[in-house]
Amino acid sequence: MAAAQLTDEELFSELKRLGFTPGPVTENTRPVYLKKLKKLREEQQQRSRGTKGRGGGGSSSVSSSSSINNNSGGGGGGGNGHPAAGAAAVRARPTGGRQLLNAKRPDRPGKFVLGFSSDESDAEFPQHKAGLNHSGSKRERSSGPGLQPLRPPQESGAGVAHRKSPLGVLEGRKSGIGASSSSTWWADRGKSSLGLESRSNLTGDKDYSGQGKENSLEEEKEEEEEEETERSSSSSRALNGSRAPYALSSSTSSSTTKLAGDYSDTDEEEEEEEEELEERERERQRERRLLSRRSISKVTPSPAKRGREPVVVEEEDGRSGRSGRSGRSSTERDGFGLNRIYTKPARFSSGIMGENGGDMDSCSPRNHVDGGEGATSTTNTTNTTSSRSSSFSFGLRPRLTSSYNSLSTTYRPNHSNHTGSNHSYGQASTKRKQPAPEDELLEQFRREEVSGTGGFSAHYLSMFLLTAACLFFVLLGLMYLRMRGTSSTDGVIIKSHPFGVEFDSTYSNIERDLILSLLLHLHNHLADIAGDHDCRDLNLPLNRSLSFSEAAEYLKLRNKDYEDWIHISLEWIIKSGEIAGIRLIAADPGQAVEDVSDISRLESTHPRLSFVCRFRRAFFTVIYRVLLALAGIGVVWGLMYYMKYRWRREEEETRQMYDMVERIIDVLRSHNEACQENKDLQPYLPIPHVRDSLVQPQDRKKMKKVWNRAVAFLSANESRIRTETQRIGGADFLVWRWLQPSTSCDKMCSMPSKVWQGKAFPLDRRNSPPNSLTPCLKIRNMFDPVMEVGENWHLAIHEAILEKCCDNDGIVHIAVDKNSREGCVYVKCLSAEHAGKAFKALHGSWFDGKLVTVKYLRLDRYHQRFPQALGCNTPLKASSSSMNTMARLHQRSSTSSSLGFS
Amino acid sequence: MSTTSQKHRDFVAEPMGDKPVTALSGIGEVLGKKLEEQGFDKAFVVLGQFLLLRKDRELFTEWLKDTSGANARQAASCSQCLTEWCDAFL
Repeated sequence: MAAAQLTDEELFSELKRLGFTPGPVTENTRPVYLKKLKKLREEQQQRSRGTKGRGGGGSSSVSSSSSINNNSGGGGGGGNGHPAAGAAAVRARPTGGRQLLNAKRPDRPGKFVLGFSSDESDAEFPQHKAGLNHSGSKRERSSGPGLQPLRPPQESGAGVAHRKSPLGVLEGRKSGIGASSSSTWWADRGKSSLGLESRSNLTGDKDYSGQGKENSLEEEKEEEEEEETERSSSSSRALNGSRAPYALSSSTSSSTTKLAGDYSDTDEEEEEEEEELEERERERQRERRLLSRRSISKVTPSPAKRGREPVVVEEEDGRSGRSGRSGRSSTERDGFGLNRIYTKPARFSSGIMGENGGDMDSCSPRNHVDGGEGATSTTNTTNTTSSRSSSFSFGLRPRLTSSYNSLSTTYRPNHSNHTGSNHSYGQASTKRKQPAPEDELLEQFRREEVSGTGGFSAHYLSMFLLTAACLFFVLLGLMYLRMRGTSSTDGVIIKSHPFGVEFDSTYSNIERDLILSLLLHLHNHLADIAGDHDCRDLNLPLNRSLSFSEAAEYLKLRNKDYEDWIHISLEWIIKSGEIAGIRLIAADPGQAVEDVSDISRLESTHPRLSFVCRFRRAFFTVIYRVLLALAGIGVVWGLMYYMKYRWRREEEETRQMYDMVERIIDVLRSHNEACQENKDLQPYLPIPHVRDSLVQPQDRKKMKKVWNRAVAFLSANESRIRTETQRIGGADFLVWRWLQPSTSCDKMCSMPSKVWQGKAFPLDRRNSPPNSLTPCLKIRNMFDPVMEVGENWHLAIHEAILEKCCDNDGIVHIAVDKNSREGCVYVKCLSAEHAGKAFKALHGSWFDGKLVTVKYLRLDRYHQRFPQALGCNTPLKASSSSMNTMARLHQRSSTSSSLGFS
Repeated sequence: MSTTSQKHRDFVAEPMGDKPVTALSGIGEVLGKKLEEQGFDKAFVVLGQFLLLRKDRELFTEWLKDTSGANARQAASCSQCLTEWCDAFL
């Protein structure tokens, strides 16, 4: 009878009977309550068992406790039966033990379903260490399973004392074993395996990051089976004897818990594993079926190799409540005694069977009861396996297998096989879980790092790029300028000239050179003059051009030969036009130069300016142009601003107008309603009177335009109001008369929006800071930015806050963050004390159907965000004294009464 | 008296409203994802579970460890956070 078969009501009543008041049992709470039930039952058994004593009386106590267990329910019964069976097995010899074991099998399922809590592993481990006295904690742990068998059977759940008793029994039994020869052999084996185990443990421990209960459970099952097959094939009875209890215990999930706990490297890991194991239990229970199906399916392809799987599966199934499998499993186990299956966990998990077979063959000859060699080989293989396994922690496996070394080498591979598969999903998740919190931390640090260094380098990078670009452009400009201002020296041979082929043909080389050099000199001279003229200081009067005679003089100075050629070269220039860069000016500027004699002045068309001058000119040109462009942009921009401003003004005025219209309509409507009730009132209202009641005296002048527009709008667009003339108090007035007969739809006054609606919870020490921390507040959830319409709803928010804190005149700045999704409003107060008062008034109140929350902000951050608040010192006051945002229940009647005149 | 984390203080200071489950103290990204897979996507759903267990901290811790794979510390932190929240607001 598995606890899973308990109905909700039964579970509920059971828990109640044990003195615990459970809540409703739903699908979520069910596993929790099952665990609790188990725990309570174990405690009960513990209490009863503890009184009986340990060691020799263990069996009797076990039987009594088992009886108690049986009485208390199916779940606990199996476990209690085990120790007795175990003890019997040890004493009686394997075969008997096996049968007992098989007999135990059906009982076990019930226990497994209940699972085991972490307390078990917690409690057992220290005793384990203390009790075992083996060299090295690992050794202790590894031998733990050996001793464990007895323990779990006795336990049906968690319990420190519970563990203690099995341990005592085990020890007693162990001593019993030691007495016999077989026990010596066992001890020897233990020693031999010690070294191996420690080696394998070392490798395994690193991998071991957290064992699922399933894994250890599977392993234990495997161990159990191994034991049984071992027993059938091996000659050491004592081993079997000791194994039998172990097998028994291994079958129980508590032993798996214990195993897992034993194999953890550190205490922390232990705790974690225990907790993980607890979780695993739940998972396992849920997923065991799945796994068993899976392993079954995997098994079928190669039954020979996977002989163990069906056994294990059966184990699982048996555990889950099936009985009668034991016989079959035992036979299968016998078969497996000869089949040494060594499968690499990785491969197993991937579902490849072939390799396993190969390994099997290779392993089979090695597999032998002979502990030492087999241990070595299996250890090696285990080690390689563990090294190969990537995401699985095989720490348990090596340890377990090494512990098996003492008994048989055969079964280790099988174990690893199993554990591999079973671990596959358990391990990965545990492994994932452990790195997870570390990952979170790492991620945090990485992010910080990245942001820190990234920002740093980014800043410098950008600066560097900027300077590089600037330098580049400066260099470019300089190069450009320099190119413009090139000059050729006197000695340059002129090869190219603009005069055409004729020139070449007419004159000889020397003559040609002469002419060309003459012209060049002339050109340069003129260019210099022009340059000087252009770059001159304004004081110095210079002529840009050179007179003919002066030019001739200059040329003669340069070179005596030039004199002859002046005319000819000038003729050529006339022919070619102004290509040479020299302009010939006749006496009459307007006239074109036809002949050399006409020439009165010469001028250069390509003035040669000094570099500085050139640069200066260029610079100024650029500046002027840029300024012009900027001015143009500025003008355009100004225009745009102005347009926007005008447009906004227009909008504002229109909105005001509509607002006024609505108010007028409201007034008229309410007056009409008042008239319905009170027949003394006139059904019309004078327009000026309405205006004076709606518009404050100080605003009248400002609102004059708005008012007029509103009146015009009403007369043109409102059909429910009629404008007429009436005589009131002897004077003629233009009045409005409300025409629409009151209907129910008129009563649909808009839902009070933007009002304070009460407090949700009282503010006490727990949900508000004990003292006001800063003078700045951030108020959340005051509005929904999506829902708000219009331009000035934030003013309503301002109003609301001011009115709510009307007693507190310390609010100096309010800012509504219109774009925030959360509806944030930032408030700055004169002092922290004022902020505290505002906090008390605002936090937890309902506003417009939303629950408002407040928190304190740092003052410097507030100033960063709202620099305009730095200078605010005057407390703000609500603009209207009518408390619009506090519950306006009697607004209508008040307005009507205020208008009830005439 | 154990010290409380900033997350704890933030959560307990105001009504949880529509906060996600990762706003709970002790529940980070990974656990939050796991809880969301189970259907506990908002903090108030986890609160509901806590209330179903009659505000029993040990039971809730167990449940949380089973459901999300939290370790003892995380689950204890979360259950303490919820307990205090309930004290303040329920």
